[in-house]
Amino acid sequence: MILINIDSLSTTELQYIAEQEGVEAWQDLDRDDLIDALEDAFGEQDDDVPQTIKGKINRNRYCNSLTSYRGNSHPVNGLPGTESLPECYYDTSIHLLLRDPQWAFAYWSFSHQVLDEAVDEDGEAQGHFFLRVSQSSLSKSETSSYDIDIDSDDRQWNINLSQMDYSYYVDLCWRDKRGDEQSLAQSNSVEVVQPYWKLSDVPPDGQLAQFYTHFSSLVTREGEIVDNAILREVAQKMSGGVL
Amino acid sequence: MKPAKIAFILNAHLPFVRHPEYPRFLEEDWLFESISESYLPLLRMFNRLADDKIPYTFTISLSPSLCAMLQDPVLAERYTQYLERHIELGEKEVVRCKAEQPEFSDMAAFYLEQSRTNFHDFVELYKSNILDGFKDLEERGYLELATTAATHAYLPLYKEYPSAINAQVEIGVQSFLTTFGHLPKGFWLPECGYYPGLEDVLRSHSISWFQTASQSMLLSPDKVDNGVYRPVHCHNGVAAFPRDFNGTSLVWSNSSGYPTDKVYREFYRDIGYDLPMEYIGPYVHEPEVRVFTGFKYWAITGPSDQKVPYVRSIAQHRTVEHAHNFIYSLRRRTTALGPILEKEPLLTLAFDAELFGHWWFEGVQWLEEVVRLIADGEEEVEMTTPSLFLEEEGESLQIAQPAFSSWGHGGYNAVWLDGSNSWSYRHIHKAIERMEELAVRFGDQLSLKQRFLNQAAREVLLAMASDWSFMMYNKSSSEYARKRVNDHLSNFNVVYSNMCKNAVNTEWLVKAEKRNTIFADIDYNIFNPEH
Repeated sequence: MILINIDSLSTTELQYIAEQEGVEAWQDLDRDDLIDALEDAFGEQDDDVPQTIKGKINRNRYCNSLTSYRGNSHPVNGLPGTESLPECYYDTSIHLLLRDPQWAFAYWSFSHQVLDEAVDEDGEAQGHFFLRVSQSSLSKSETSSYDIDIDSDDRQWNINLSQMDYSYYVDLCWRDKRGDEQSLAQSNSVEVVQPYWKLSDVPPDGQLAQFYTHFSSLVTREGEIVDNAILREVAQKMSGGVL
Repeated sequence: MKPAKIAFILNAHLPFVRHPEYPRFLEEDWLFESISESYLPLLRMFNRLADDKIPYTFTISLSPSLCAMLQDPVLAERYTQYLERHIELGEKEVVRCKAEQPEFSDMAAFYLEQSRTNFHDFVELYKSNILDGFKDLEERGYLELATTAATHAYLPLYKEYPSAINAQVEIGVQSFLTTFGHLPKGFWLPECGYYPGLEDVLRSHSISWFQTASQSMLLSPDKVDNGVYRPVHCHNGVAAFPRDFNGTSLVWSNSSGYPTDKVYREFYRDIGYDLPMEYIGPYVHEPEVRVFTGFKYWAITGPSDQKVPYVRSIAQHRTVEHAHNFIYSLRRRTTALGPILEKEPLLTLAFDAELFGHWWFEGVQWLEEVVRLIADGEEEVEMTTPSLFLEEEGESLQIAQPAFSSWGHGGYNAVWLDGSNSWSYRHIHKAIERMEELAVRFGDQLSLKQRFLNQAAREVLLAMASDWSFMMYNKSSSEYARKRVNDHLSNFNVVYSNMCKNAVNTEWLVKAEKRNTIFADIDYNIFNPEH
């Protein structure tokens, strides 16, 4: 329903949605009040959505998406004999997924044994878990790492990738009370490759031609550039700071 | 000066939705609406152009999950019933509009005629299998058909699971071979999702080309000479065709694209929502769940609810203007590029097929106008397909590495990996790992165990569909999407836990096979990492 351009809807349709959404006394509301009530209802549902994304969704008039038909009132039956999914799996492992050149998403799990050994018989913690993010330059022999403290209840984290032209991996680690450290599991690595045009200078005599070749296809007729942070940096560089 | 070349690539895809356990099912309408409003009108347009001896060529990717639904007898029967209901509603609408809203009479008659034509084409012409229509056009040289990932999985998020990537590609290719009788040359990357190295899997299945997001060239680690205006060869020889963002945004921009013109039909005003339930009740879903019926009488008009009646002749006139503007915009750009590029540019215009006709009611007519304008020859534009282009100019392409990219918000993986859907990867990845384990431990089984394991492989693939994560991100039918991911993974776990006990749950198996019938020839051994 978030897809619908709410101002364009008929009053009958607004009433129907209000009824579906459980808006109180929807029969008594006039059109403007219905819109306000629905915006409040959706707003509450969307509190976890960043404002920039909300705008995108509401304007998503002709983008590829399927009509949103199903509200909350029509459950779909599963096959007999199935069980719900566990929250996580009891092996000690960590995985790293590249989200974009600035962020990766890590998720992990602990075995029962690891969790048992993390506390004593009275339930007191014997140390703490942390993530060690390691980065290695793809072009130079430079490596470094930094740590992120996590709780024993945490199972996922967004990892900031501070530099391009690096590969990253994450160790799921344990540090006991004496300060001894141990890697319990290591993730796969992800690479963030440097674009050629982010590093290289455009020769002055070819600047305009290069810029037109690359950017005439990447903007709308209103001058809106493809939504991409790195691209904007490159545009600024290739345009000599004009953009 | 040689004509500029353009390659239209349409991606026809829907997630596999088939619920024979219900008499009628809301989300099955996605398929029925797409057949009625996009696929059949596109086929009629292609055949009309061919009958008029208009030269043209399009590329269409038909996803394996869509092909499976288009060949399914249960869904074909349900689509026929859907058409019968629409014809009945159309007959009632003609009478009602004549008496109550004469300004809508023309459109009511149009919708009735369209439903009758769809019924004729589907039942009589294509014998309930419209894929034959696409196959025929390909054989006559008008279309290049391409495939995509088995369930349209967003591949960059499975990079660490080569067996799953291979399964998605191999089954996509095999499904195409089974359906169309030959191997595909092209592979539509779902959501334009690309990561360096993916071309190696494609090459191992004899794929010659794929399409990428617009920024994949400028963000390449190599110095790409021609931006998006020429495809490149990856280092292994597979060609990457970058999408022209400027050209596609003329249509696809949701703020300024042609479909937003005020004279075009308003998608969101539909009698399924506007008319009283006692009238529309038999044509929406039980119990009194309002849905789009396709009977829409208003023009977009503006951002308020004050709409004016839709006038088809005015909209048709506007599509001609927009077709002229489209060609003019492309030509203006390619002319400016003439002195800069060493060779004539190629503009790759990639869209979802369902945009035309379904979302943009006038879109099919606009496409037809564009083709007829090009055929007039005055516009110095030539249509091609990626394979034709490679035959003619493949040897002259630059070798370069496209950058990791997608066509989603932000240009990378963020749409398919955000707070709404990231929970699913823990479970899908685990299911892939366990499927690999099953394929190794229980290789080459026969009979019931084989069927059990094959069903497990189907469930893993179905859970991987990019649609579910997109719907969760987009908050569109997100509850259904979550349910589908959960169900497929729970189904998989039934097999896994039973096989670990060396058992087969036959009751579950029979029911699961009936429900999720996709990929009848699947061989679960495909998940064996040594496969």
